[in-house]
Amino acid sequence: MKNQQRREVIQKGLIFALLIIFVLAIGFHEIAAALVSRVFGVSVRRGSVAELRFMMYFFGLYAFVTGWANIRKEGSWQQKFLQGLLTSAVAGFVVAIFDLLLVFLVSNSIDIRQYLTAFSIPSMSYFLFEKGQAGPLYHLGYFIVFGGLGALLHTLWITEMVQQAFEKTKGFIKTFATKASDAIPNVVKKYGKYLLLLVAAIIMYFLPRMWGSYINFVVGLVGLYVIAGIGLNIIVGLSGQLMLGYAAFFAIGAYSVALLNAPEPHNILLGFWPSIIIAIVMAILAGILLGLPLMGLRGDYLAIVTLGFGEIIRILLKSDLLENFTGGPRGINDIKGPTLFGRPFSNDIQFMYIIFIAVALSIFIYQRLQDSRTGRAWLSIKEDRIAAQATGVSLRKYKLLALCIGAAFAGLAGGISAARNQFTGPNDHSLLVSMNVLSIVIVGGVNSIPGIILGAFTLKGLPEILREVENYRQLAFGALLIVMMIKRPNGLWPATRPLYEKSHCLENEELNTGKERKND
Amino acid sequence: MTDLIIQTNHVSKIFGGLTAVNQVDLEIPRGSIYAIIGPNGAGKTTLFNCISGFYTPEHGEILFQGYPIQGFTTDFIAGRGISRTYQNIRLFSNLTAVENIMVGQHTNLETAWWDAIISSPRYRRENQKARDNAMHWLNFVGLNGYGDFLACNLPYGMQRRLELARALASDPALILLDEPTAGMNPQESEEMMAFIRMIREKLEKSIILIEHDMRVVMGISDKISVLDYGTKIAEGSPKEIQANERVIEAYLGPGGAALAKKYQNRRRNKQDA
Repeated sequence: MKNQQRREVIQKGLIFALLIIFVLAIGFHEIAAALVSRVFGVSVRRGSVAELRFMMYFFGLYAFVTGWANIRKEGSWQQKFLQGLLTSAVAGFVVAIFDLLLVFLVSNSIDIRQYLTAFSIPSMSYFLFEKGQAGPLYHLGYFIVFGGLGALLHTLWITEMVQQAFEKTKGFIKTFATKASDAIPNVVKKYGKYLLLLVAAIIMYFLPRMWGSYINFVVGLVGLYVIAGIGLNIIVGLSGQLMLGYAAFFAIGAYSVALLNAPEPHNILLGFWPSIIIAIVMAILAGILLGLPLMGLRGDYLAIVTLGFGEIIRILLKSDLLENFTGGPRGINDIKGPTLFGRPFSNDIQFMYIIFIAVALSIFIYQRLQDSRTGRAWLSIKEDRIAAQATGVSLRKYKLLALCIGAAFAGLAGGISAARNQFTGPNDHSLLVSMNVLSIVIVGGVNSIPGIILGAFTLKGLPEILREVENYRQLAFGALLIVMMIKRPNGLWPATRPLYEKSHCLENEELNTGKERKND
Repeated sequence: MTDLIIQTNHVSKIFGGLTAVNQVDLEIPRGSIYAIIGPNGAGKTTLFNCISGFYTPEHGEILFQGYPIQGFTTDFIAGRGISRTYQNIRLFSNLTAVENIMVGQHTNLETAWWDAIISSPRYRRENQKARDNAMHWLNFVGLNGYGDFLACNLPYGMQRRLELARALASDPALILLDEPTAGMNPQESEEMMAFIRMIREKLEKSIILIEHDMRVVMGISDKISVLDYGTKIAEGSPKEIQANERVIEAYLGPGGAALAKKYQNRRRNKQDA
């Protein structure tokens, strides 16, 4: 037992030490320090690093997490605390040894940037807190002090006393909440949903006016991805067809609006509203065209064929063959925005309204379909297609229907995005877009609307807001996916199934109590 | 001519060089419990798959209530009124028990997807009816209180009953049961037998079952067919089948008949003594 603990301490300590060394190796520590300084409200000038104290805060925070994460799971509180402290100390020790190398490099002015870009002398000495040869000692000290603090706080946190107090406050809040909800009259409860919607609508009306145009741009992007995510979820999450070329429908929607609404190459200028409807119809037609040959396929084969479909559409749009028709690799510029009652309706605030309405419409349609006969048929196909067919669900009809509705959502999102950006080109519809939408659905939670919204914010919104980490987006993306799949395999906000029996019983109870009252 | 629920004429199903079902004729009267038995690999499940439309037989025809159904898709045949259960349970694992039964009603409901989106009165009425029906079937198979469990979280016996409820929910004329008592202990088998009888008597359904447990087969079936290497080798009442030499040979191998006689004699002697 003792031996095993010793091994654990050394293992975990090594892992945490290697992680921070990795952070240095990719130069992430400068960005992390910049992020911390942002939290404290100090902006960092472009091309320079954040003040040194923020680097120290970041390092202290990391040491704190090391201590917090590594306390022992059982045993007395001393044992728990000690394990956290020791692990942190081991991590500090390893880092300090590594620091010696850095000190050597810095003091001899050996620049190995050409091999490892992050190991420039300023970057290394920044990592060493600009303390030169004392740097390793500082790091060790930080790990022991802050790691010890983390371990101590975590140990205190999981003691029974604190936990009981926490539970008590939780219970208190809960009873208060139920009492408060009981106090609300029934009329309000019944129509409260609509009231909430109204309040939400009012907020949605004012929010884009308060935000700057940059936030509008980011939130609009998230909204478009929410629409696409819901559409893809109908195909992947409900009917269980793994689709990897979803961006093709997006492209068809975008190009429909673009070709009908731009001076080049055709100068049709049909107007936004009719052309967005045509975009949706075109996407549905593409869904049927793709769907018919796909009906017999499933699993891996389906994924590969849809992948091919996505690439074919993109390459066709890019090719010289269709250059006169679609503008070729240059794409289509100057797409006209929508008008409302003869006035232009296309600044960023007004576009936000269009996107909000489209998102609301998508959510509404999805919610209605999800628990209907159609939604259940889709889910049954996903779960077991043979049994589904033997209970009378037509595979061909429902798979095609899912593809068409999913494609329609993508057409809508693509059309709006083309008009909003006033540009669309073949590179807007690359494989990466398909992958992004699929990741949003999986990371957020399959079949869960809040999950998809959350996923879209995490994967599309956050990287836009945190421009500093732009270079590390793909890295963070991968890391997030791995952590997610281990910690929350069902997504950030997993879907739940409707509880029909419970609601049925409740309804009956209400009926019965109603009758009794009448009898009295 | 009696009222037949299923009639098969010279049905054959061939996989490559293997004739899984060979020229099988069955005449199954409405309202009967009909058993198909035979050693492993005799083609029983293949015959089921031909009837339910999962396979299309190469030769012969299958008449369901007088109409030929071979060559149609499974969902069409299910819509005509044949539902089935499986040897290894095939529930929709990540749906709740109630939802499983609601999917079972699929063929009885007719509202389309746009009805659901605009939430038309027709749709709301039908949805309510579907939920009430689901509750009814849930109670019928004795799963009340478990309706909101995911199907995969139910214990084995309940999964079997849920599968039956799903099959019953479409109100079929004919139910195909593939080894309904597989993996059950004697008491559970007993309950399942009583339950199958009740389905026939109360709901007036016709039932065809495949079963290996001879006590179940002999206990509930009106008539039995025996398949061996895809061919029907015997048909008759449980009594006749028990005495049939070809059947004994199929199960016990050549010389089996003598062996069986020996054990029967020994048992008789014991009873006499």
